[in-house]
Amino acid sequence: MVTKPQIETPVSRRQFLRNGARLAALTGLGALAGVMSNRARADGWVWQIDPAKCLHCGNCASNCVLEQSAVKCVHAFAVCGYCQLCTGFFAPDPNQLTTGAENQLCPTAALQRTYVEDPYYQYTIDENLCIGCARCVEGCNRFGNGSLFLQIRHDRCVHCNECAIARTCPGDAFRRVPARQPYLLKTTAR
Amino acid sequence: MRPEFELYDRREFFGVVSKTAAILGLSTGAAKTAPASDSGTANPFAYDLRRLEKTDPALVAYQEVGRWRSPRKEPKRIAVGPDDRIYLCAGNYVTVMSREGQTVLEIALPDTAYCVTAAKDGAIFAATRDHIEVFNATGQRRATWDSPGRKSWLTSLATGGNDVFAADSGNRIILRYDRSGRLMGRLGEKNAERNIPGFIVPSPYLQVEIHRDGLLRVNNPGRHEVEAYTLDGDFEGAWGKASAAIDGFCGCCNPIAIAALPDGRIVTGEKGLPRVKVYSAAGEFESVVAGVEGFPENAKACSDLNDCTRGGLDVAVDSQGRVYIVDFVTAEVRVMKRKS
Repeated sequence: MVTKPQIETPVSRRQFLRNGARLAALTGLGALAGVMSNRARADGWVWQIDPAKCLHCGNCASNCVLEQSAVKCVHAFAVCGYCQLCTGFFAPDPNQLTTGAENQLCPTAALQRTYVEDPYYQYTIDENLCIGCARCVEGCNRFGNGSLFLQIRHDRCVHCNECAIARTCPGDAFRRVPARQPYLLKTTAR
Repeated sequence: MRPEFELYDRREFFGVVSKTAAILGLSTGAAKTAPASDSGTANPFAYDLRRLEKTDPALVAYQEVGRWRSPRKEPKRIAVGPDDRIYLCAGNYVTVMSREGQTVLEIALPDTAYCVTAAKDGAIFAATRDHIEVFNATGQRRATWDSPGRKSWLTSLATGGNDVFAADSGNRIILRYDRSGRLMGRLGEKNAERNIPGFIVPSPYLQVEIHRDGLLRVNNPGRHEVEAYTLDGDFEGAWGKASAAIDGFCGCCNPIAIAALPDGRIVTGEKGLPRVKVYSAAGEFESVVAGVEGFPENAKACSDLNDCTRGGLDVAVDSQGRVYIVDFVTAEVRVMKRKS
């Protein structure tokens, strides 16, 4: 006996709209739950350095409990002057304005210099090399716009209850910030 | 047998106490006089500028012969007029002074006075951040010129003949006006065909001067150079090198001020390492007018958490070659004369 193939009836407009509304409601609920869950997880406090208070003393390089400090130099590109003679990059009295090691201020060559156009250069930080010594930060603040500054990188920080660097910070620059906004970034020159 | 407790008499007790005090005192003194690096607290990553903050006395060719306080707060620029009177922009005023620093006239501007120049006929051109005002020799306002543009930040004026030149740091350009305020030209815009490098002005210190050789001199602080232009804007050459050493210009942007001596040599003023130097007309370093150690407060303006743009020195020169230095931080004017 030959059975007549069953033809699926197309979804009516009303059903389609109803299903769509259900799907949208479920998606919305899911997103809300996700956001709430994230917020609940991140609801805490982490250590961070206030760039306005940092004295560039060098303690961050040596006082962190990690072998290589969780404090790194970061760069506010919007603030940078892209100077040819970057006093964060070059030693105070360089032989030449080249990337020769003897001309560089950074003890680990973590600050890298790339030509943009005459006479501008871009400076980026290799975080694997940066030890957070703030020598470049002092140089940049001393003569430039202060676009280089220190921040605790939270992918490295082990979140000690009592931060070993904060205990010795002479500028009282360490403070607790909400974990969902863990960085204190510079947006304007000093 | 040795007694378990040895008792001191009074004389022995005082002797022991005084010896102990002397040893403690000596060790404390030694600790204080020991170099910081031995104390274990010195910063091994310190940014050390001490060597550059000392000037070789053999290079200093000038001595201070006068000093007075600016009559108003926050001086910005100083100029010397054809009659050797001093014109000082400070606060919302242009103060006209004698060579001894006595106030002759004060002219009020509607906003912060940024720069001033005086013509041979006594006309005074003064600028706020965004426009120029013209006064006669007695300080009466004669004209107010239109602002050259939204981003304007006028930082220097120079006049000669029928021309008035204005350095606009905001737009990185020198504007050429006639004396009626009509814009006649724009100089210094980057132009590869005319071999004009363009001004790099990270902080608002562009300055223009008309020299006796008939050329304009303009500082190009981002390139650490002094450039020469014809009055029509043709680029004639540049000199200067980027270095914190005494013969160079340091930091992001220097020199921030230039002035011509009567014989054509050029005096420069700097910030960061506040110092005033003399170069030949061709740009060879010759001598120091005043070194960093003479401006300790100014040198600190950049090293502490203050705004570095507050620091720096402006310079002007009179017909007898005396150099007038304005210290932006201490609000003082110093008069320097070449040592005989």
